[in-house]
Amino acid sequence: MRPDGYADFPITRPNSLKRELIISPEPIDEAGLVARRTLSSGMGAVVYFAGVVRGTEGTTSIQAIDYECFDRMARHQFDLLFDEIEKRWPIESVRLTHRLGVVKVGEASLWLEIIAPHRGEALAACEWLINEMKRVVPIWKRPVP
Amino acid sequence: MSGASVAPGGNPIRKYPVHFYSYFKEFTGCPEATVELVAGATIQDLLVEVNRHFPRMAGLQDSLLIAVGVEYQGRNYQLQPGDEVSLFPPVQGG
Repeated sequence: MRPDGYADFPITRPNSLKRELIISPEPIDEAGLVARRTLSSGMGAVVYFAGVVRGTEGTTSIQAIDYECFDRMARHQFDLLFDEIEKRWPIESVRLTHRLGVVKVGEASLWLEIIAPHRGEALAACEWLINEMKRVVPIWKRPVP
Repeated sequence: MSGASVAPGGNPIRKYPVHFYSYFKEFTGCPEATVELVAGATIQDLLVEVNRHFPRMAGLQDSLLIAVGVEYQGRNYQLQPGDEVSLFPPVQGG
């Protein structure tokens, strides 16, 4: 207990959505993300999705994709989407990592995990979040030949 | 994108930073510019100035997204002191 009387640990709202957002040029550590997973006993569905850079853009072969982001707005728009997810589905946790800069073919540019009581809401929320991200979050990509 | 601090009608002139993202930076040749407009101007007025100064931007009006700060806004939005505008093409995350 701190001298001011407050407990010295994070205070969370009961039943509130746990959120983690990483926007970074660092490679996505999928194994590390999975290892850090936490879920309560009421959760029965863990859905995670990795978006990987393809070797073609249309009919053209590419080596990589270079991602650019308007960081401050992207974080705000992701927060709004997480708010909406919390309203629509009984999701316990959402974790999303988006890589920036040059991402080589075969490497992950996006990693998303949704934890929910049942697979229906987890799959629906995952699909919805990816679609909305592609509509409103200011991230752009440029193929690298 | 220059001018006096007061317009001929007596209305103050305000400066608005405009940021360009993705290939818009290539079309303008810069990541940002400052647009001077009479107080009360809208995003549409700002776009007219941007297109006048950067003619290549004029052809992109159908694929243009507009944000003020971190929120999307329409062309009728009336600019406020301190606003920062961002112009960019459709987003493509993932």
